[in-house]
Amino acid sequence: MTLPSRLWSWLRATFRRSRMENEMDSELRFHLDAYVEDLVRSGLSREEARRRARIEFGAIDGAKEDCRNERGVRFFDTLGQDLRYALRMMRRTPAFSIIAILTLAIGIGANTGIFSVVHAVLLKPLPYPESNRLAIVFSAWGNETRGPASGPETVELQRRSRLFEEIAGIWVTTGTIVGSGEPEQIRLGQVTTNFLSLLAYEPQLGQFFSSENRHSGAQPEIVISDGLWRRQYGAEPSVIGKTVRMGAASVTVVGVMPREFRLLLPRDSNVAPDIDVFTPFPGDLAKAAPGTGYIRTIGRLRPGVSIIQAQTELDEIATQLRAGYKEFASQNLRLRVFPLQAEDVRNVRQSLLALFGGVGLVLLIACVNVANLLLSRSSVRSREITVRTALGASGGRIVRQMLTESILLSMAGGILAMAIGWGALQWLLSLRPDGIARIGAIGLDFSAFAFTAVVSILAGVLFGLAPALKAAKLNVAEALKEGDRSPAGRKTNSRSLLIVSEVALGFVLLVASGLMIRTFTSLLRVDAGFRDENALTFQLSIPGALLHPPDRADKFLHELRTKLNALPGVESVGVVSHLPLDGSAANWYSYFWRDDAPPQEKNTVMADYRSISPGYFRSVGATLIGGRDFTEFDDVAHPHAAIVDDDLAKQTWPNQNPIGKKLAVEDSPGGPFWFTEDTVEVVGVVRHVQYHSLTTSIRSQIYLPYALAPRPLVSFVVRSAMPPESLVGLIRHEVANLNKAIPVSRVAPLGDYVRNARSDSRFVTMLAAMLASIALLLATIGIYGVTSYSALQHTSQIGVRMALGAQPCDVLRMVLWQGMAPVFVGLVVGLGLALASTPLLSNMLYGVRPADFLSIGVSLVVLVTAGTAACYVPARRAMRVDPIIALRYE
Amino acid sequence: MEKQIDLLQGTLEMLILKAVSLGALHGYGVLLRIQQISGGKLAIQQGSLYPALYRLEHRGWITSEWGESENKRKAKFYRLTSAGKRRFQAEAEKWNRMTGVVAGILDATPEEI
Repeated sequence: MTLPSRLWSWLRATFRRSRMENEMDSELRFHLDAYVEDLVRSGLSREEARRRARIEFGAIDGAKEDCRNERGVRFFDTLGQDLRYALRMMRRTPAFSIIAILTLAIGIGANTGIFSVVHAVLLKPLPYPESNRLAIVFSAWGNETRGPASGPETVELQRRSRLFEEIAGIWVTTGTIVGSGEPEQIRLGQVTTNFLSLLAYEPQLGQFFSSENRHSGAQPEIVISDGLWRRQYGAEPSVIGKTVRMGAASVTVVGVMPREFRLLLPRDSNVAPDIDVFTPFPGDLAKAAPGTGYIRTIGRLRPGVSIIQAQTELDEIATQLRAGYKEFASQNLRLRVFPLQAEDVRNVRQSLLALFGGVGLVLLIACVNVANLLLSRSSVRSREITVRTALGASGGRIVRQMLTESILLSMAGGILAMAIGWGALQWLLSLRPDGIARIGAIGLDFSAFAFTAVVSILAGVLFGLAPALKAAKLNVAEALKEGDRSPAGRKTNSRSLLIVSEVALGFVLLVASGLMIRTFTSLLRVDAGFRDENALTFQLSIPGALLHPPDRADKFLHELRTKLNALPGVESVGVVSHLPLDGSAANWYSYFWRDDAPPQEKNTVMADYRSISPGYFRSVGATLIGGRDFTEFDDVAHPHAAIVDDDLAKQTWPNQNPIGKKLAVEDSPGGPFWFTEDTVEVVGVVRHVQYHSLTTSIRSQIYLPYALAPRPLVSFVVRSAMPPESLVGLIRHEVANLNKAIPVSRVAPLGDYVRNARSDSRFVTMLAAMLASIALLLATIGIYGVTSYSALQHTSQIGVRMALGAQPCDVLRMVLWQGMAPVFVGLVVGLGLALASTPLLSNMLYGVRPADFLSIGVSLVVLVTAGTAACYVPARRAMRVDPIIALRYE
Repeated sequence: MEKQIDLLQGTLEMLILKAVSLGALHGYGVLLRIQQISGGKLAIQQGSLYPALYRLEHRGWITSEWGESENKRKAKFYRLTSAGKRRFQAEAEKWNRMTGVVAGILDATPEEI
């Protein structure tokens, strides 16, 4: 096997270069002398012998070169030569080098920053065991396509599925836990016993739940998060086995989740990433109400099972369920399964890819700029190159030399780009876009480094290839001639082409960012149905003790409201089960129908149900457009009342007055989540309040008095004349006075939820605007560079014209026109590109069409202005040229 | 022209291996020995000798060390390695087979076709 010896020989040749050279010299000299001696011995004179030897050995230097080649070091030799030369060239023209490196650094750096986000969010697998086999199952009925499952559904899925290795479920609610300090409101995840082992290899401490049946008398077990462990239990290992109070019950801590564990489910499943406590579902899921869906189901498929196969199996199971349960039949239950990773990033994928495209465009523009710079410089270096060619350099050798220079430039840019990329990433993260759940995991890691290196090399080849090829093709005889009187026609053409492409790409970016800005401003102006200024919100988790008997919680809330209303400056206080634009509480939605509806109309339309106190609408700033608000008398004992929104009124009783009409609804006067059918009378109509997002409205809304539907988790809205923050301390005081065990959590101005709902759009808009600005800057610099260079080239021409009688303003016009001509062509091309590509963004737009006149018009004006300004300076310089000097210039 | 050099390159390597197999030699000595064995009929182009030697050393079929020549001067001596021996035998066999085949073709008379 010759490979080891080849490697050894290559290593020796590379690292002991000079010694090898000396040895080769002495060896060949020995040979030469021996040959001479032989020739002398055969009768020649010493001189003659030497001459003969020299001639015969004439190829010795060539032989040396061949010898070196045999050692396999030629590639590195010439590479070293090229690199040293490139470095010298860079040092000789520092201004050029700095501009080129900076331009590239910005272009590459922006790409590195976005790539890190794309990699962490879209490309990296979910941090769960065998995450590529994880899938999420949605239940579909009526208009709902991504709903949660009910208890019996989950159990049946576990029993009947063959293709799923494991199926698990979670329902997120809240609770209160008492640790070493204040009682803390926690997010509680009730789970099937296999849920945790599905998503984590092992706990940090202790163990997960075992799947054997627990004795009904045993204390419930909990597994706590790392965060809770540190906050409440001082990270003591002794927490395992400890009994703690959670709400009204005592529970045993059996395990602590790993530190980095986060629950990454799709955003619309309302499962927050940070759950503080996990506990198994109390009771038997199979005995729960089949029609009440609340469990989010995920599962791991068996190896080799595809999603399509899984979907087919689920369709069968759904058919079996519809046959077996009348509730499922009447709902027309269907099951849908999707890969978990794809579902997680559904919302954010498009924006990220669009941004990635945007930075790609910026990089292209940067490359175009540098290519332009290189082209200008290569015509200056034409003399040097032709000398090299005359001395024997092959075209390929010259191309390699120039490519080495450009790659060196781009790698220098790449190194700077890592710094810029890091800065860009910090700025991106500070915008805290809501949609990127895994944002904690984003940083510059090895993949970013590798990406930067690859992009740098590719960029170097991209912008260096054209100038290099052009340089190598120079006609030797022509270029060596004195006086470059050629009007530089051909070279200008390729430079103009580059300007055209720069302007076109920049135009696309400008239009895209204009669309994003308009989307964002539309979002700012959208009417969400409530007023978010001067309102403070907070959440309370009502302990189980207060929820029995059913009306106790209502009395408690009434008392608290009265106390809070008495605080100075408070205008009104209200309670609601689900705050608008707050995704933290699992939504409550179900069917409703007119009281006198025929059977086929029942169970067809759904609404969002809300449980509220009197005063809620006033506090949140919603508009009552008919009837009245609830009063203290709207409780279980009196005729059951409801308030609907205008959407529901229009849908259900078109052109009629909804007040006084009766509705069949679902409520739970017997206790939280004990849902029953009920008939209510509509006593008021309110304008629709945006709940899911600022722009989309999924269902209409039904408001019920809290007494009819008590729930443990409620949000308070306090409207005051004073800045809301000043009330926080007083509020905590009042709550503690009434009940020390209830923590006040999620204290935030109502406006925060609105701002959060806009955060995605704000993120994309700021990014797009930044990219467009960079593109505009680069394009302007490019236009300026090319115009001033070509004006310089044409100086003699200008001199001739002026000598022949042209006025300075004629010269101005000529230079301006020459500079702007490619810009106009670029604008036309850009317009076409923009019209073709912006429809791809239509999912991200709101309130503006993809072919928006305003955005296009403004971008046009901006580019023309920038281009004119860029051409103006060189034009003015050309104007002031003295014809005599110009004519003498060569 | 190219093809001829290639053929000679392969043949030259084989000849060098043979020359060196008879005893360690420096470069000039290899030249002399080949001339000697061939009875003076084969003279190697001096420019192609050393590249061939370096190539053989790079591939590990000969190895070199510095020693003293007959006239007490420092010279680099080449020796056959065991891998080189195997290589030489393989090449020699291939060469013999090929020449046998070619000879058979050249000897073909019209009747045999």
